[in-house]
Amino acid sequence: MVLIIGAYGAGKTEYVRSLGYPDAALGEAVDDGKPVLLHLEALVRQRPDGADALADTLCKKEIVVCREVGNGVIPLKKEDRTYRDAVGRLCVRLAKEAASVVRVVAGIPVAIKGELPCALR
Amino acid sequence: MMILLIGGAGCGKSAYAEKLCMESPLPRYYLAAMQPYGPEGEARIARHRRLREGKGFTTIERYTDYASLMLPARGTALLECVANLTANEMFAQDGSVADPVENVLSGVDALDRQCDRLIVVTNDVGSDGIEYDAATSAYVEALGRINAALAARAETVLELVAGIPLVLKGELPV
Repeated sequence: MVLIIGAYGAGKTEYVRSLGYPDAALGEAVDDGKPVLLHLEALVRQRPDGADALADTLCKKEIVVCREVGNGVIPLKKEDRTYRDAVGRLCVRLAKEAASVVRVVAGIPVAIKGELPCALR
Repeated sequence: MMILLIGGAGCGKSAYAEKLCMESPLPRYYLAAMQPYGPEGEARIARHRRLREGKGFTTIERYTDYASLMLPARGTALLECVANLTANEMFAQDGSVADPVENVLSGVDALDRQCDRLIVVTNDVGSDGIEYDAATSAYVEALGRINAALAARAETVLELVAGIPLVLKGELPV
């Protein structure tokens, strides 16, 4: 599994496409049988308490994409704070299991663990 | 010798900081700047305590004025975290507001002189692009300046991302 993280609009999905994954390979559910999961942060938003339970299934994906949400002023609303913590901790866990972790910054993929993944043939 | 760790919520800063402490000279002091506001704050503190359990830390809870803290012996200290300390130095219980920069920096300097290794944890709060009220904006700016000043003093600066330490200054500590 390759974990791809980065800010909102940083170019994460475009990067996944550039690796050769067609739109049909891109999913947003854990159990849809697709190799790529986009918007992990949205799944955590729905069930912040269940974030940990997702980890094992997520590790079977080829690619998991998650927005970085932990920077900035600590939010006033408790649910927002819980969400940020849950996304962050799940990413720590996934990063441990991942073969590579890629952080996309301004459209540029930066390998922060392992190597940049090869494009699909 | 100071190591500065910066990162967002849930990025693994505390766990990494504690791992570093375990590889650093004894005795180990945990300097807790976070005030336990309400059940959520207490839960956060309890979680940090669980992480530190059995690791030989002496915990010192102190919310302001690290400049006058005397550590009992030289060793390793972990200060967590500068975002809390800055808020505590800035916003007093009586509602008054002070410039926190000098107090935070002199406090960290005093700690650095008393330790073989000082590990300082802080947050990046200035990059969410949201316009806040004047007091919050002043806090965000102050913390940014404090982080920059601490990074200038630190031998090593690491950004924690998904639990992975990225070197911004110096080298990965051994």
